[in-house]
Amino acid sequence: MIEQLRFWAIVVLLGFGLFFTFVSAVGVIRLPDIYSRAHTASQTDTLGAGLALAAVALALGRDSMAIYAVLLLFFVFITNPTAAHAIARSAAESGIVPLTDDTEVDVEPDPSTPDEGDSQ
Amino acid sequence: MAAERVLVPLSDTVTVRQTVGYAVQSCPGEAETLEFHLVVALPHDMEMPEGQSLTEDAEQLLSKAESWVREDASSTATTIDIETAVLGEEEYLFGPRDYARTFDTYAAAHDIDRLVLDPEYQPGTTAQMLQPLERELESVGLAYDEAPVDRPARHERLVSDGAERFDKMFAMFWISYGFYLVLGDPTYWFDLVTGAAVAGIVSVSLAHVTFSFPLDRLGSPIRTLRFGLYVPYLIVEIVKANLAISVVILRPSMPIAPTMTRVNARVRSGLPLLALANSITLTPGTLTVRADDQRLLIHTLIPSAREDLFEGSLERAVRFVFHGRKGTRIPTPEERGDTEIIGGDEL
Repeated sequence: MIEQLRFWAIVVLLGFGLFFTFVSAVGVIRLPDIYSRAHTASQTDTLGAGLALAAVALALGRDSMAIYAVLLLFFVFITNPTAAHAIARSAAESGIVPLTDDTEVDVEPDPSTPDEGDSQ
Repeated sequence: MAAERVLVPLSDTVTVRQTVGYAVQSCPGEAETLEFHLVVALPHDMEMPEGQSLTEDAEQLLSKAESWVREDASSTATTIDIETAVLGEEEYLFGPRDYARTFDTYAAAHDIDRLVLDPEYQPGTTAQMLQPLERELESVGLAYDEAPVDRPARHERLVSDGAERFDKMFAMFWISYGFYLVLGDPTYWFDLVTGAAVAGIVSVSLAHVTFSFPLDRLGSPIRTLRFGLYVPYLIVEIVKANLAISVVILRPSMPIAPTMTRVNARVRSGLPLLALANSITLTPGTLTVRADDQRLLIHTLIPSAREDLFEGSLERAVRFVFHGRKGTRIPTPEERGDTEIIGGDEL
């Protein structure tokens, strides 16, 4: 019974982890510029990797290995914003102007084709 | 040569008095007039909360230094001109390169060809920067002279506050020992012994690198516990933000409204600011693009993320970690007027 529960918990966690990783991949393709893409790229690291590692911890449950998964998550949480910030900052320093509401008040990105041209 | 011009950057160090003395002494006697440019370079700009008091400190230091120069030069026959200036008020000087550039600009504007450097020069609260500053000065091509000074040996100072040093080593020892045992096996004698040895080496060699600030025997453990409360809160925020962003991304119309905002955070620089900027970036929908000290430039993707940011719930949580419950009782950044939506070209 408990084993069954654990199995399904692992499956559900992995499923959600995959879902958020998928959303993040879709976001990277659909979003218009480098800044907004950096937002969604961090989704993979937070919930995507987070839920997958939670599943791993659960699967390794009896082992002391589970603690490694938690540690791994901790380091991902520290390094992910650093990387996202480094990307955004270097984009800002190389003079890439972010798309804002003012610049595209009437130009909503076309849902069917990702607007690659504006991303510089 | 009609006039000899010297630039002396000052900062509040134990050797600043001797540096000024050396600058006066070292000038060749044949010059008719000596022109001293005493400058203080501020690491922050005026708009910062503490900018005002720093500027006042700088002006005090300048007037003191001016009287030192007059005192030292009273015996010589040459005419002394003294000019003082506060540099870097309009920009945020970040590293040695910015300082070197600022000095070079000032020197070029005033036709100065020599700079006298205080060996302990340490503007603001940043760490010792003599060596990198010397390198940058060389690269911008400004001639400098390091003042020979007597200073109290640095290790003496460390011995005198041995309690502080002990606290750091003690904390470092248990952190590294704990980490070692988490990775190893806490019940196996070999790991216990090797862990203690490794933690000992780590604490002796790295304690002063890890903790650049004095630890508080009561405060630091309490902060660690409060941080433990902060983590679940942050995770809940991350999950909420993730769901909101996922919905926006998956909707065919993709209703995003990217904006660039500037938020002046009311947290101390260093660890609290790092925690805040990192948490902001970790929550999808808000992304720290720049952190010019307390002024954070944040890119927001959707309106609800921007509203959350302006409500400052993360800022309040970080203040809770570092200042306890009374630190949370501050108005939201929006009420303080510390938020601003700026155009993308204003980076």
